[in-house]
Amino acid sequence: MLGPSGCGKTTALRIIAGFYRPDTGTLKFDEAEISSLPPYKRNTGMVFQNYALWPHMNIYDNVAFGLRMRKVSSSNRVERVKRMLDLVKMRDYAERFPNQLSGGQQQRVALARALVIEPSVLLLDEPLSNLDAKLRIEMRSEIRRIQKELGITTVYVTHDQSEALAIADRIAVMNVGSISQVGTPREIYESPVSAFVASFVGEPNVLDGRIDAVSKENGLIHVRLGNNVGLEGRLPRDSAYEVGDEVRCLIRQESIFGNEECKQSFPVRVQEVSYQGQTEHYLLELPNGDLLRAVRFNPGGVLLKVGETMTVQLPPSKVMVFKE
Amino acid sequence: MGFFTVFLFYPLAYVFKSAFVVQGKVTAVFFGLLFTDSFLTQALMNSIIIGVLTTVATAAFGLPLAFLCVRYRFPGKGWLQGLLLVPLVMPPFVGAIGLKQVFARFGSLNLLLIDLGLMNSSNPVDWFGGGFWGIITIEVLNLFPIMYLSIAAALANVDPSLEEAANSLGAKGLTLFRKIVFPLTFPGFFAGAIIIFIWAFTDLGTPLIFDFSKTIPAQIFSMTQDIETNPMGYVLTIVTLLVSVVALLSVKRYVGLRSYEMMGRGQHVGRREQDLKGWTAVAATSFLVVIVTVAMIPQISVLLTSVAGQWFQTILPTRYTTQYFATLVTHPVAGPSIVNSLFYSGISTAIDISLGLIIAYMITRRKFPGRDILDSVAMMPLAIPGVVIGFGYLAAFSRTPLNVFINPVPLLIISYAVRRLPYTLRAAYAGFQQTSVYLEEAAMNLGASPLRTMKAITLPLILANVIAGGILSFSAAMMEVSDSLILAPQDQYFPMTKAIYTLNLRLTDGAFVASALGVVGIVVVATCFFIANRLLGRSMGELFRAG
Repeated sequence: MLGPSGCGKTTALRIIAGFYRPDTGTLKFDEAEISSLPPYKRNTGMVFQNYALWPHMNIYDNVAFGLRMRKVSSSNRVERVKRMLDLVKMRDYAERFPNQLSGGQQQRVALARALVIEPSVLLLDEPLSNLDAKLRIEMRSEIRRIQKELGITTVYVTHDQSEALAIADRIAVMNVGSISQVGTPREIYESPVSAFVASFVGEPNVLDGRIDAVSKENGLIHVRLGNNVGLEGRLPRDSAYEVGDEVRCLIRQESIFGNEECKQSFPVRVQEVSYQGQTEHYLLELPNGDLLRAVRFNPGGVLLKVGETMTVQLPPSKVMVFKE
Repeated sequence: MGFFTVFLFYPLAYVFKSAFVVQGKVTAVFFGLLFTDSFLTQALMNSIIIGVLTTVATAAFGLPLAFLCVRYRFPGKGWLQGLLLVPLVMPPFVGAIGLKQVFARFGSLNLLLIDLGLMNSSNPVDWFGGGFWGIITIEVLNLFPIMYLSIAAALANVDPSLEEAANSLGAKGLTLFRKIVFPLTFPGFFAGAIIIFIWAFTDLGTPLIFDFSKTIPAQIFSMTQDIETNPMGYVLTIVTLLVSVVALLSVKRYVGLRSYEMMGRGQHVGRREQDLKGWTAVAATSFLVVIVTVAMIPQISVLLTSVAGQWFQTILPTRYTTQYFATLVTHPVAGPSIVNSLFYSGISTAIDISLGLIIAYMITRRKFPGRDILDSVAMMPLAIPGVVIGFGYLAAFSRTPLNVFINPVPLLIISYAVRRLPYTLRAAYAGFQQTSVYLEEAAMNLGASPLRTMKAITLPLILANVIAGGILSFSAAMMEVSDSLILAPQDQYFPMTKAIYTLNLRLTDGAFVASALGVVGIVVVATCFFIANRLLGRSMGELFRAG
């Protein structure tokens, strides 16, 4: 579940876990209705944002806790805990206490603790937000690997869109309490249903304008931007668009350079250049004064210079138009 | 809530009613008497002045001391700081007993001064003439650790980056202190000052020892004799309550509006104490030694008195003896009083711990209507002086089976419990707050029922807090004065503090045996404090701040 702070994703997660009661609606795991079950009877495993490892118990006891609650026999317990600690690569730390572990290590223990009980659903509440960037990337592929190996249904809450794109099978983008779109990472990125979803993943350019003409057969929509410059874009699926409507046009930064020659092109002036090793970032000025951010992979050649003019090819398929 | 209704609201309501309704008629005439009767007016003025002077004096000593100890490091600071807390282990009036020996006309101090040639032997100064200054001295010596702790805690919490910002803009030294540091510490200081004012105003034991009856608490005590006939006792009780409540509300209002702790954002380097070297270090250490010694005079004098075989017009006793301690063992009042105190305090602490845990849990982990009210009500006893509760209980329950003349034990225990509940409640509350809710949720998520979670997760984690709170509650109950004096009319039920008071009235060796019993009390309470301090660490200062 992906969304900005306050959108309700953590609330939804906690409803699934049973810590909040919904005012309306029901909750089902497969076909079983569990809305009335308290959290300790739902067989979900939750990994908290701050790990919530119990400081007065060592790693082994932390992980074994859920099994004890389920009255798993002692020998069975030992075996399962050991296996899970192996899976998260924390076997040697079984005797230590949480305050002796680093953030990443605590995180892995929290994961083991939730998984060892073989829950019907695994719930992760922004598990990586307290880790530094490098560790975050490392851990997220770990989590993905383990989850795939065990095949447990998992609900993962985050506000980090690159994280979501990287590890999700399906993403639900949320905004102010509702789900805006559910789809695969590709669908979310390439076919967003609203300006919100489109701008939440990636940092697209946003140009405001008014509809000039709608051409349903071609799937095109003609928009008049500020200062009378025209832009043609892709007509969205649910087209309830009238001439005169105010719309927003979204163009992704990576779709500005490298297009084949097409009918729609603009002369632009380079305003800013930023070399970032792997990529080059540019700020381009359109004829009407609107600014476009563009990025391209380092072609190994000469950078564009500030003040330089060039022509940008912009096929309508790269221009997403939304009402809101 | 039912508990509170019976034991908190009813007595208070009774007192209010009795103050205003005389012989069936509603009247405020007796309040007027307070201001027209010159004796009572003087008593009121005395109590107020005692309160104010005590506060000012403790601040005068406490402020530089706190500043010195928080900001600088010098030899001997560690254990000298520990000794500073010694005055806390004894109720003020016990120190008064010892102090009378030292400050009497031919007491130790004057004899020393005469020996040094600083005083004329035919006309020694009567330091405490009449008792007024004796009361103030005792209160100051006994209470200034509280002021010190309040200020020290507030000072230590001042974010260094705030000072550094001012420093970089040009402020330093006294200006820095005046404009930045002191204002930031003021809320903590103010809270401590109010506590001291209330305590000095409402202290019952010390005026009694000095035979100084022109104070409000002493008057209330004498009026316990005629609760049926004279409404003035009720009036005075209400006045005391009003003073206390107004004082505390002003703190809440002022401090609540301006919480300055840790306002700086982001990481900051913890303040490091500056080392003092050379003569400044010597000066600092000596200053502290002097203060500590002076602060401990009451305790030292009580100790000396308890073992003084012969101490008449000499600076120190000429002969030492353990006979008073021996008397304690066989004395019909002293021995049992120790047992009584232990019993009463033990049970009241048990009540406090259970109630404290339950209420703290409900307040922190559950939402329900009236939650804030429960919180305030449980903490209310902090605002209500002991004499008010004592008098209230005595009067309100006089026609019930709980009448103290029949059997005071239940009411004694309950009065202790009600008045100490805030300590255990605060300790448990802090414990619950510090224990992340997530720890409990994680347990529930993994299959533990709420009860199981409490047992396996929450309780072990807050145990230290709860025990520390319980120990403080216990030692405070052992030292309790006002309710013990008012609610235990008969010998065999005397708690230790009342026994000390009564023994002191004995001819010949009263002061000595009382001191011996006082020493026993000090030892018990000091042990409790020591253990609690180990468990609670730095937060001792915070427990003494109001609100």
